[in-house]
Amino acid sequence: MPWLRRVKPEAAQQTAARPDEPAPAAAPQTPAELDTQRRARRTGTLIATPGALYLLIFFMVPLGLITVYSFATRTSTGRTSLSGWNLDSYERIADDVILGIIARSAWLAFLTTVLCLIVAYPFAYYLATRPPRLRARLLVLVMIPFWTNGLVRVFAIRFLLGSNGPASALSEAMGFGTFRILFTPTAVVLGMVYGFLTFMVLPLYVALERMDWRLVEAARDLYASGAKAFWRVTVPLTRSGIVAGCVLVFVPSFGSYVVPEILGGAKTLLIGSYVARQFQAARNWPLGASLSVLIIVAMLVAVAVNQRNSANAERTGAGAP
Amino acid sequence: MNGDGAVAGPTAERDGGVAHGPGAEDRTGVPAVEMHGISKRFGDVVAVDEVDLEIGDGEFFALLGPSGCGKTTTLRMIAGLDIPSEGRLAIFGEEVASWPPDRRPVNTVFQAYALFPHMTVAQNIAFGLQMRGIRGAEADRQVAEATALVRLEGMEQRRPSQLSGGQQQRVALARALVNHPKVLLLDEPLGALDLKLRQEMQTELKALQREVGITFIFVTHDQEEALAMSDRVGVMSEGRLLQVGTPAQVYEHPANRFVADFIGRTNLLEGVVESSTTLRLHAGAVVAAETDLAAGTPAALSVRPEQVRLHGRGETPQGAPCLDGVIGDATYLGHAFVYTVSIGGSGDGATTITVRAETGSAALAVGEPVSASWLPATTTVVAD
Repeated sequence: MPWLRRVKPEAAQQTAARPDEPAPAAAPQTPAELDTQRRARRTGTLIATPGALYLLIFFMVPLGLITVYSFATRTSTGRTSLSGWNLDSYERIADDVILGIIARSAWLAFLTTVLCLIVAYPFAYYLATRPPRLRARLLVLVMIPFWTNGLVRVFAIRFLLGSNGPASALSEAMGFGTFRILFTPTAVVLGMVYGFLTFMVLPLYVALERMDWRLVEAARDLYASGAKAFWRVTVPLTRSGIVAGCVLVFVPSFGSYVVPEILGGAKTLLIGSYVARQFQAARNWPLGASLSVLIIVAMLVAVAVNQRNSANAERTGAGAP
Repeated sequence: MNGDGAVAGPTAERDGGVAHGPGAEDRTGVPAVEMHGISKRFGDVVAVDEVDLEIGDGEFFALLGPSGCGKTTTLRMIAGLDIPSEGRLAIFGEEVASWPPDRRPVNTVFQAYALFPHMTVAQNIAFGLQMRGIRGAEADRQVAEATALVRLEGMEQRRPSQLSGGQQQRVALARALVNHPKVLLLDEPLGALDLKLRQEMQTELKALQREVGITFIFVTHDQEEALAMSDRVGVMSEGRLLQVGTPAQVYEHPANRFVADFIGRTNLLEGVVESSTTLRLHAGAVVAAETDLAAGTPAALSVRPEQVRLHGRGETPQGAPCLDGVIGDATYLGHAFVYTVSIGGSGDGATTITVRAETGSAALAVGEPVSASWLPATTTVVAD
């Protein structure tokens, strides 16, 4: 059969044309190899068990409970009845008051994120361009606030910004009158910027530290001014750090509870406090639960965006098909 | 032994007289790059030490030296990426020593190319045009022209990471040349390529330089590459510019021991200058050699392996300097033999001479007694 002879070399070529195709999956394995593999897998499972159990009991179970409660009914006495499942509490979210709270929370979280970015980028840039030994020391400085109790730090800010505090004294001494900032949205944003700045600095630092500065030199060589080289090369190449930092700041700012409680006034009710109120004073667990679910879903979307972004960065960066 | 005594030797004088004249096509008369007393210090480290250099318009100039010799720093100072600590630097007559890189009429092909990974090939090439405010159809036309020049048509929409090393190198060239710089700086542009591609690109770069007529300044640590490609070579070591000349001048008349040793292979026969025309070798003989060095100066005679002829003992031509020895090692390279001749003498005098002989003559056996001789005109006396 002449055509058979013609086909055969072609088939051979096809397999030969892909010598880099990974073969190991199909490769025959000896019993010893299989045994080693199985043991390695078993060890891995064993190591992961405590963490997995912890997450299951203290994270997944409460999360499941919250989700269940969000479909429950609030009785007239404020008890939660685990029957008559419905979407009432989700419908209540459409209420103008609640939507207003969500919008305000989002707006303040947005402001916090932008301020963090503006403050953190130059600092991270400075950090990343120092000699390695100085870098390590400066990074420790960034971390120090983390070793202090968060609540204490927020109260410290409250003292700083208070009408009897040093900021106020300074402004009075300079003739600007008393400083009225505490219990305003401004104070909340300031507090959140302070609280979450590290989350912005670290990813930016990592991105800038990995930057290939020769690319900036190349841009300068190609007639870009310092500023243009920054916007056209440095910023795009640190985009993954910028997005990661923004997500890491926006997410906790949006659901923030402690800072607005201590620094915000009655007027600055944010979603974190509102949820807490539903579980405590208002005794409307289904509403609190459904709001929580909503926040979680929103955050998951943000994280997904971040992950797609870093995957993109990898594709356009070094590794490529 | 053959009757005439010459058992092996170079066939003809490999004369370098046809060297390209420096700045042969000087078109404006103004040097492309002029350096006077240029030094660069990083803290206590002197990277470049009082370099004086003039590079002609349209010249293909190679800065050659081992790594860390200051050649890249010199190039970066021309580009404006480093600012000289001292000295004057002019590009086509304009003092640019303190200008930022974006104001200088030069472009660089960086080592490892430094292509922008977040841009396509076309965007990379268009970058310099954009920065100078050239946009739209005119920019497109020039990008297409540069793409064609380096034969990258069809790759415009790819990312640098999707290209091979050779293609990336072409993008880097196009990205620089699209701006029609007055001087193109190339920092080890072939270093990242494999041998075969490197040789191809050598030829291509030379052709490209002739085509665009731009002054190329080329940094390399590969002496063969420098000799093969450039009109003139500047040899650097430890921040100093040791010698500038055509490849033939540098190869045949090295200015000092370092240059002789770094460019090509050579035999350095240690000795002491006896007079302006003679050198006393530690190996015993007093040989004819022209030198400006003062009598009594320790110096070495640089004799290229291909300039040495081997004869039977006592069969050397009249008057030619010669040393007696024994074949210590013979290597067959296909197109040539390389012999190592152990020169007798004890202590200081014992040395070896490497000899390169064309194949075709009879092979010499290890242990055979021979006399090595050379023509005085093919040697150079070098000191430190």
